[in-house]
Amino acid sequence: MRKLPLLFLLLGAAPALAGIPAEQEDCLGCHTDPDQSFDLPSGEKLSLFVDQETFAKSVHGESLRCTDCHSNKTSDHATGSLEFKNRREVTRAYYEQCKGCHFANYTKTLDGVHYAVMAKGNEKAALCVDCHGAHDISRPGQPRTRISGMCSKCHVEEAEVYARSVHGRASEANPDVPVCTDCHRAHDTTDPRDGALAMRTPELCGRCHGDEKLMARYGLSTAVISTYLTDFHGMSATFQKGERKADGKRLAAVCTDCHGVHDIQKADDPQSTVMSANLQKTCAKCHQGASATFPKAWLSHYEPSLEKAPLVWLVQLFYRLMIPFMVGGLLLQIALHLWRVVVNR
Amino acid sequence: MDHATTTARSARPSYFIRFTLQQRVEHFITMAVFALLCLTGLPQKFYQSGWAHGLVDLFGGIDRSRWIHRFCGVVLAISTVVHFANASLAMLSKKIGFTMVPDRKDFEDAILQLKFYLGTTDKHPHYDRYDYKQKFEYWGLVFGNVIMVVTGFVLFFPVQFASLVPGQLIPAAKVAHSNEGLMAFFVITIWHIFNAHLNPDVFPFDASMFTGKISRERMVHEHPLELARMEGRLAGEPGTHPPTDETPPGAMG
Repeated sequence: MRKLPLLFLLLGAAPALAGIPAEQEDCLGCHTDPDQSFDLPSGEKLSLFVDQETFAKSVHGESLRCTDCHSNKTSDHATGSLEFKNRREVTRAYYEQCKGCHFANYTKTLDGVHYAVMAKGNEKAALCVDCHGAHDISRPGQPRTRISGMCSKCHVEEAEVYARSVHGRASEANPDVPVCTDCHRAHDTTDPRDGALAMRTPELCGRCHGDEKLMARYGLSTAVISTYLTDFHGMSATFQKGERKADGKRLAAVCTDCHGVHDIQKADDPQSTVMSANLQKTCAKCHQGASATFPKAWLSHYEPSLEKAPLVWLVQLFYRLMIPFMVGGLLLQIALHLWRVVVNR
Repeated sequence: MDHATTTARSARPSYFIRFTLQQRVEHFITMAVFALLCLTGLPQKFYQSGWAHGLVDLFGGIDRSRWIHRFCGVVLAISTVVHFANASLAMLSKKIGFTMVPDRKDFEDAILQLKFYLGTTDKHPHYDRYDYKQKFEYWGLVFGNVIMVVTGFVLFFPVQFASLVPGQLIPAAKVAHSNEGLMAFFVITIWHIFNAHLNPDVFPFDASMFTGKISRERMVHEHPLELARMEGRLAGEPGTHPPTDETPPGAMG
């Protein structure tokens, strides 16, 4: 089956329709009428039209038959009745069909927030077909920005904020741009409200911002993650991440607390929360009464050096020399002492 | 105690009171607080290790660990101040001498002791109430305490300090605090544990800091000058090397 597309390529410009398995012709015999629809009890019209060309172009077009998904349909189903009350019920009835083939991804969705809210009775919760489409299924992420487009269908506000951010403004052709699923994941989409996702940000942001090659492309430092982790915030966050029994109060600042979430901007952007003029306000979110000089207590993701933070660097150097000297000297004296005791015996 | 006093009346008591109750209590507080400070502080320095997370969990999470750390830090700060106030008053009222102040003899002793360890001399230094190792540890602890308490308060109140001093002092205080703490931990675990427990002279355990008592035998070996002075055999000032009628400590066995 996999070799099929290749075969068509070899054959040259074969029309896409040629890929549709013959069995479909029977279904399409009726479902090609654009006006054909069914009146649902909700008053909605359920279109029964299937665009042959769209389906043929979809990733399933060349491999699936209609009955692979619409398994309960027989040749005489036109005479039967529909038990659906509204359109959403139709969608929900068919999305489970996906698991027959895509079992791994289906299972992942059971851990996701969309499934969780659906289980609580939210009918709008996203299902496979809401993101991937039904008859028009195509590879997600081609281009990558398409993924954010899918999410924006429901998450309008977040999508608008994201679109204005440094990440969202990246060109569509940019393969590096983080889209919604890079942070929130695709199938086991995490609930950002319980704080667990926030605690994962050093790891999430670090995937790209710790990548030397990738950051070199944009002239960005990869030390942002290491300097954060060695800092008071990062160290506290590392401990709190492992604490499940804690009272849920999150104390340590993570990447998003300073840089924003969907609205992340470049550090020199006037709109950026970490731009020097805005930094005092950002610090004061947690450090009540932070004065204008308080942000200076923060090394701005720089490793201490003689140029950037000479005092910190010198103190560090002092102890790097002092500790081995002191400990070595004491150990040497202990060794000499014991050696003399042994010799005197 | 009765035994001690009766023996004290005779010419040669079998042991001496070396530390007052107050000194023993001070030592006990310092010991307990130091241990807790290490247990809650070192995990913060080595936050990436598994044992650090285990320890922090033991204390009920990082937030609770930090409050315990700060509480112990405040106790240590108070006990340091109280110790100094007491010591200064006692020295000014001439109740005790300047026994902890390092002098020229300590440097000479250190050199002589090292020579003895190296086997280049058979002469062993005669120590007074405190030898150079004890003075070194004492002053190390005192200076260490001052650094730890000052930097600790800077880290406790970063916002307030940042409005008073240049901001860079805060990360500098953090580097100093964590490294000084680590060094103190090493000095205590290596040097103090050796001298108070593993040293063949006191092995397995020097109890004098808890009982307050020290045996005559140990006085002879470890503090012959103090012993001589206590028994009125020493005419001169401390710092001189008088002849003793006891076996010289270097010639043991």
